[in-house]
Amino acid sequence: MSKKNKNIKKRVTFSDDTTITTHQTHKKKDLDYDRPPVYMRKTITTIPIHLLALLYYYIKISDNYDTLKLLFTLIPLQIAYLIFQFNKSTIYGNKRLKTNIPLLLITIGGSVALSVPAMIIIILFGAPFVEHIFQTWLLALHASFLAYPALYSVFNCDFKVGLWKKYFIAIIIGGWISCVVIPLDWDRDWQVWPIPVVVGIYLGAFVGYSITAYI
Amino acid sequence: MLKSLVVPLLLQLVGVFVFLSGFFPQKNVLSGDAGFTIDASLQEKSKHAFNKLVFVVIDALRSDFLYSEENSGFTFVHSKINSGEAWGYTAYSNPPTVTLPRLKGITTGSTPNFLDAILNVAEDDSSSNIKEQDSWPNQFHKNGFKMRFFGDDTWLKLLPNEIFDEYEGTNSFFVSDFEQVDLNVTRHIPNQLSHANEWDVLILHYLGLDHIGHKGGASSTFMPAKHSEMDQVIENLYKNMKDDTLMIVMGDHGMNDVGNHGGSSASETSAGLVFLSKKLSKYQKPNAQNDVRVPMTLDDPSSFQYLTSIQQMDLVPTISSLFNVPVPKNSVGVLIPDFIQLLNNDKLANIKIMENYRQLLDVAKLEDLDNILNEFERSPKKLDQEYAISKMKDIQETLIRNATDYNYDNIFIGYCVLVVATLVAIICAIYVMHFSYPFIGTMSISILLGLSCFGSSFIEEEHQLWWWIITGSIALGYIHSAISGKTKFKLYFVLFVCLRLIRGWNNTGQQTAYSYVIANLLKSNPTILWALNIWAVFILCMRDFKGNPTSFISSFTLGMMVLTYKMNWSIINKEQVPEYLIEIVRKYCEIYTGTHDDQVFDDALIPMATLFFQSLSSICFIKLLAVVFRMQKTDTLLNDMSKYITLLLIFLSSSNNIPQFLIFEVLRFCIIKIVQEAGDSKVYIVSLISLCLQNFTFFQFGGTNSIATIDLANAYHGISENYNIYMVGWLMAMANFAPSIYWAIFPWTTIYKDTRNKKELFVKCKLPILLFNCIVGCCLFAACIALRYHLFIWSVFSPKLCYYAGWTVFMNVIVGCIVEGILLILV
Repeated sequence: MSKKNKNIKKRVTFSDDTTITTHQTHKKKDLDYDRPPVYMRKTITTIPIHLLALLYYYIKISDNYDTLKLLFTLIPLQIAYLIFQFNKSTIYGNKRLKTNIPLLLITIGGSVALSVPAMIIIILFGAPFVEHIFQTWLLALHASFLAYPALYSVFNCDFKVGLWKKYFIAIIIGGWISCVVIPLDWDRDWQVWPIPVVVGIYLGAFVGYSITAYI
Repeated sequence: MLKSLVVPLLLQLVGVFVFLSGFFPQKNVLSGDAGFTIDASLQEKSKHAFNKLVFVVIDALRSDFLYSEENSGFTFVHSKINSGEAWGYTAYSNPPTVTLPRLKGITTGSTPNFLDAILNVAEDDSSSNIKEQDSWPNQFHKNGFKMRFFGDDTWLKLLPNEIFDEYEGTNSFFVSDFEQVDLNVTRHIPNQLSHANEWDVLILHYLGLDHIGHKGGASSTFMPAKHSEMDQVIENLYKNMKDDTLMIVMGDHGMNDVGNHGGSSASETSAGLVFLSKKLSKYQKPNAQNDVRVPMTLDDPSSFQYLTSIQQMDLVPTISSLFNVPVPKNSVGVLIPDFIQLLNNDKLANIKIMENYRQLLDVAKLEDLDNILNEFERSPKKLDQEYAISKMKDIQETLIRNATDYNYDNIFIGYCVLVVATLVAIICAIYVMHFSYPFIGTMSISILLGLSCFGSSFIEEEHQLWWWIITGSIALGYIHSAISGKTKFKLYFVLFVCLRLIRGWNNTGQQTAYSYVIANLLKSNPTILWALNIWAVFILCMRDFKGNPTSFISSFTLGMMVLTYKMNWSIINKEQVPEYLIEIVRKYCEIYTGTHDDQVFDDALIPMATLFFQSLSSICFIKLLAVVFRMQKTDTLLNDMSKYITLLLIFLSSSNNIPQFLIFEVLRFCIIKIVQEAGDSKVYIVSLISLCLQNFTFFQFGGTNSIATIDLANAYHGISENYNIYMVGWLMAMANFAPSIYWAIFPWTTIYKDTRNKKELFVKCKLPILLFNCIVGCCLFAACIALRYHLFIWSVFSPKLCYYAGWTVFMNVIVGCIVEGILLILV
């Protein structure tokens, strides 16, 4: 706590803690040093409708829960979401940022790279280690592409802002909660690894992207 | 302060005991022996369908072992089934699918009492025998048949021995013995065959196949050889049999693919059953056998329903009728329709069916509402056999469903007492803990686990819930520490990796079995396994040894004894052990026994264990004396005791689980570092961590909420053949709860640093666990009451109830409160 107060006094405005604790009171007209440098606008435009659409496609339309196809649909939609919705609501130093095309591409690579630590986390959380390793990697790829807009913003804000942590946490929580259905003995075809968790992280990401600006 | 713990604890105990006594009442059985009731003189005069019976029980003979294309090696049986000299069935064996209750079912024809499964463990318990109950061996004996028995000594415990002219029991002391245990049965056969005129009934019970299953699963590499060995036994017996001899080959239960049994899955309940006789070829074979050639492949092999499916109890009235003896009084079996044609004439057949029908009505305490009996008496010739059989099947179904009469008074009194205990516990907890985070945490875990009791699959897969809670709390803890600015990334990472390793150690739960679990990998890499085992013991002895040389020396000596004993045990059980270790152990054993033959390992085993127990108890005793007479500083006592107890736990664990203790030590180190700065709530957090890990590690050692996984192999360490049943009981409880005991004593060394307010700390540490037990108990009892007629009540909910009683009485009261309380008084 003392550290945080000191930070405010010294006005080191890029600190994680200030963004987390004080951005709620922002008014976007005038930015002074007490205002957070980066925040999300509280608007419904950040709601990632496409995630729900993808889930609908995955559960109802796709053939036998095609997780791979879902991933290939997810990537372009996430890029579009970032350009047209997410980035437009990101306020950095009192202004909206223009889309940084090279960074978009770099972040795709970043997401793929992120899938490796994501996979380690998933295995630590109890995924099978030897069997189904490819499915686990697919799940990790989904998770890291769901985090794609947040990852882009991390890069875009020079790695200094802790605000984006919440998006990652939301995805993890979604995945964690969805595990509940795995032990049930209903013998449904959607209980196969990793389908419930894929659905879980999508819902987690949906909730995360929708409400993080408010908390 | 102490009152707020003791009052709810005692109330809870009373509630649990009263509830259990109401939920598992002793079953009412009809006493006395049955006699003929309908036209007794005619029945007594009529000829038997067969004159001799050869009854071969092959333990755990699953239906597919007899009939399946893929798994079966019984070529002789196949040829006889195809030629019509043998009739094959798949017999449904009622859960609990454990030998003792199944033998009760096979001999008396009654549905088993759930408690029998538990008493199967305490084999010496006299309340489980059926010497007072009517059974077909009893009826055969009464009607002058001369019987002989060779095989599993459970039969001899169940039945009065004087009904057998000649008998020899074998026991399943070493599960790893596949050969000798069966040779001990087979070696009697030549002699019996050459004196075939001296007996009428020959009963054989083979255990080897079950042992192979327990050791290596249903598709073990030893299986094919065992199948052909059994097949040859059958062939040998059959070839030397006369036409009027009936041979029955059956399994008492099946096994799941891992080789366990006890539960109610199709694999465990589908036992094979074959009737063989030359006479059978003269009659019309069962419909299911008409267009089929055995061995066969099923459309759905996981159903295990080969040929005709019947109830295993149906065997009892069938052989009673075939040999013309009264059907045992408590039997709920129905005469197998295929055999009606074997009864000399229609008149006798009708009488036998009616006899069976009347006996079923008696067991069910029903009136003859359909007037079948009356009509039969009016016109004995015009009996609609099919209709009567179908009516009997209906009665049988009701009887099986309502196998027990619950004692509702006790159930409700027990439940109310437990609810009161829970309310008192909640009030006390609020009074002591206030509405702090630990209180909320305890409540959420308890309610979550409580609600899960209503779902049978959550009970079967309870370990998943604990894993889920643990991963969630670690993530929460990490986020909390990150927000408060003290990132301990490395500690949390090591913690998480340790837990993940423990999770990957064994197969647990009742639904899936992975082949790549660490225990299996280590089994095939004995060098690594034993290196890890040695490290586990060594690291444990090294714990806090600074400035306390006596503790190090004593624990190190005990540790060496544990290691040599465990190695010797593995060698005897034919596990893979590195060569150089075998040589070391051989030297040690030779010094021990003074002999140099191959028997040296076996001879040294029990003395080694006895020496360990004696050393352990004397060292503990000396420590206690030293503390009582103030010769040693008191604060080291808890530390030393926890080390000695851990060594005892290692002693009682299987060798491939010992490395987990090494991980536990690392885990313990991390947790102590993490909770260091928790402040006032530290005691609660330690208590909650202890609770979660007790349950989690219990499952990851291979435990489940099913009777099938109770570990018996480790209950006999240091116990010779004429053993004391209470000793075995204690060892069994400790062996099965070994990892849980480790985590139950974990708070000893972490929270009692300040010995001035130890009473307060003790209460604070026990309250969350008590609260958890009360709430889960309330929910579980409610689930059992609500679902008392549910399909899974005997296979899922009742075992869970027994485990709950075990956790409450053994883990919380005895280990948690009594042992810890006594030690704290001494400190």
